Amino acid sequence: MERLLAIWIEPLALEQPDGSTLRDTLALLDSLSVLCPFTEVVRLGLLVLPLRGPSRFFGGPDAVLRAVRQSVLDVAGVEPLLGVAEGLFCAELAARRGLVVPVGASDAFRRAQPLSVLGRKDLTSTGQRLGLHTLGAFADLETARVAERFNQHALTLHRVARGELSEMEGQRDHRLARRLAQLRGEDDLLEEQRGFFGQRGAGDDRAEAAAHRVRRRLGADAIVVASLCGGRAPEDRATLVPWGSPLVGVRDSAPWPGQLAAPSPATTLAHPVPLQLRDAADRPVVMDARGSLSAEPTAVIFSSPLRREIVWYAGPWPLVERWWSRHRRRAHVQMVLASGEALLVVAESSRWWLVGIYD
Amino acid sequence: MTTSGYSYERMFAFSPPRPSLPPELRATLRPVSLAKSRTLPLSEPWRALVPDAGLRRGSTVVVEAPVGLGGLSLALSLLSEASTQGHWAAVVGVDDPGVVAMAELGVDLRRVLFVPRPRGAWAESASDLLDGVDLLLVRAPSRAAHGAARRLMDRVRERGTVLVALSEPRAPWPLPADLFFRVTQAEWVASSRLDARYLTVRVSGRGEAARGGEHVVVVPNRRGRAEAR
Repeated sequence: MERLLAIWIEPLALEQPDGSTLRDTLALLDSLSVLCPFTEVVRLGLLVLPLRGPSRFFGGPDAVLRAVRQSVLDVAGVEPLLGVAEGLFCAELAARRGLVVPVGASDAFRRAQPLSVLGRKDLTSTGQRLGLHTLGAFADLETARVAERFNQHALTLHRVARGELSEMEGQRDHRLARRLAQLRGEDDLLEEQRGFFGQRGAGDDRAEAAAHRVRRRLGADAIVVASLCGGRAPEDRATLVPWGSPLVGVRDSAPWPGQLAAPSPATTLAHPVPLQLRDAADRPVVMDARGSLSAEPTAVIFSSPLRREIVWYAGPWPLVERWWSRHRRRAHVQMVLASGEALLVVAESSRWWLVGIYD
Repeated sequence: MTTSGYSYERMFAFSPPRPSLPPELRATLRPVSLAKSRTLPLSEPWRALVPDAGLRRGSTVVVEAPVGLGGLSLALSLLSEASTQGHWAAVVGVDDPGVVAMAELGVDLRRVLFVPRPRGAWAESASDLLDGVDLLLVRAPSRAAHGAARRLMDRVRERGTVLVALSEPRAPWPLPADLFFRVTQAEWVASSRLDARYLTVRVSGRGEAARGGEHVVVVPNRRGRAEAR
C-alpha cells in the first residue's frame, strides 16, 4: 500500500455559503501541487499526497512535512494536522491525531483503532455487545460470520478493517474535483444550455451560411471545426473534422494520467516534421529503451540545413500506450531555442519529430 | 464624368470642412447604440490595456510578432471572451491550430470555424466569412497585398465585424490598424517544464488607443491562459 501524507484542515471541512471554502481549497491545492504534482483533494478539509517521491526530492519525509506545513500556513493561515500512514484510510486516521505512523506499523495502528472510526453506529453498538471493541477484533472475525450477521456494507467495512481495501467508501467526495474545475473556469456550465430543445440563435444560422460559402469556394474539406477528445499529448487530443460532418462529440472528462500539462503549443502540427537533436560533440542524441537521453541536446537541426541552439530543455516524458494492441512508445521533450522559440518534440521509432510550436 | 467635364467625385472631394460642434453640445451627445453592443468583450489582461475594455466592432486589430514568439497565442487569446459569450469566430490561414491551447486560453471551440489552408484565396474566404462571424482572425500567407487588405478592412467596417490580422515584422500588415499589438520581447519561465511566457507588448492605435504603452503580460501561464503579470 502506498505511503501517504494526509493533511487535515478542520476549518476547511465545513463548506461556507459564500464559497470561500472552495476558493481556499483551490488555492491550497495549487500551492501544494508545486511541492508534489500528485496532490489531491479527497474531500473538503482533507488533502493527500504520496510521500515517497517528494521525500526523495526534499531529502526525507521530515522535510516534506515541514514544507507542507509552511505552505498551508502561508496559504490558509491555519496550522494543519499532518498524518502519515499506508493507505488513505489509515492516513486520514493518522492525520486526525497528527501522527506519523512508522513504516510497516500501519497494520498495528489500524487494528488498534476503535470500531467507531468506521462511522456506523449499528456496527459499533452490535460490536460492543459482542465484545468487539477494536478494528483488529472485528477484522479477526471470519468473513462468513460477518456475512451471516451483517449486510453487504459491513462486509466492505470488514475488508477495510482487514486492510484489503485501502480506503473506505464515502471517504472521497467524487464531485469535488469537478466543482473545483468549474471554479477554475476549466469546465463550462453552458454546455448543456446550448441547443436546449434544438434552439439556435441567429448567429448560428449566419455562421452556417458563411461556412457554406467558403465550402463552395474552396471545396468540402477546406473549412473545419475542432473539438477535444481524450488523450495524453496535445497532438492526440485535438480533432479537426470538415465542417458539416458528424461531430465526434466525446467530452474529455476522463482523467488521463501522464497527460502533458498546460500550456499546450499554439501550433500543433498535424503532420510532424522530422528533425535531429545534437549534443555538444555534434553527435545525434538518441533515447534508449529506458527513456533516457544519450546526452544533453544542445542543438536542433531541421530537415533543411537550419541549425538552432537549445538553451533549455525538459523531459523526456515517456508514454507507453496501447501495449495490448498497437504498441506505441513515445517521449516528449520541451525545449527553448536561443532565438526564443519554444518547441515540443517527440521521439518515436528512433527518430525525433517536431509536433508543436509554442508560438 | 459628365459631358460638361463636371465630376461628382470632385464635388465631394472639395466640400468645405464641416464646422466643429461646440464642446458643450458635444458633451451631451451620446452614441446611438450602447457601448456594450458596439464592442466585443475581451478577457483579462487585455481589458485593462485597450480603450472601452473591448474590441470595437468594425475595427481592425493587428498583432505583430516575430515568428514563434507568441503572436498566435496573443491573437487567439483575444478571441476567448467573445467566443464564450456566444460570438462566432473564424480563423483563416493558421495551418495547424493548437486546438488544446485554444481551449486552455478559454476559446469556446464550438463557435470557431477554421480555414487552415485557404490556398491563395485567403482574402476571398475571409470576406466570405465576414457575414457569418463576429471575429475574424487572419494570418495572410505572406505579405498581404495592399488592395486586398484595404478591401477586407472596408468590408469589416461595413459589417461590424472585428478583424484580427496576425503579421510579422518581416511582412507587416500594409495598412494602419485601429489597434496595434506589437510583441517586442518574449521570455519563457521554466521549472521542470515550460511554465509561463512573459510577453512584452506595445499597444498603440488610433484615437484613445494612441496613448498605448508597453505592458508585460503572461501568455500562456501555467494553466495555459492569458493573465496580467
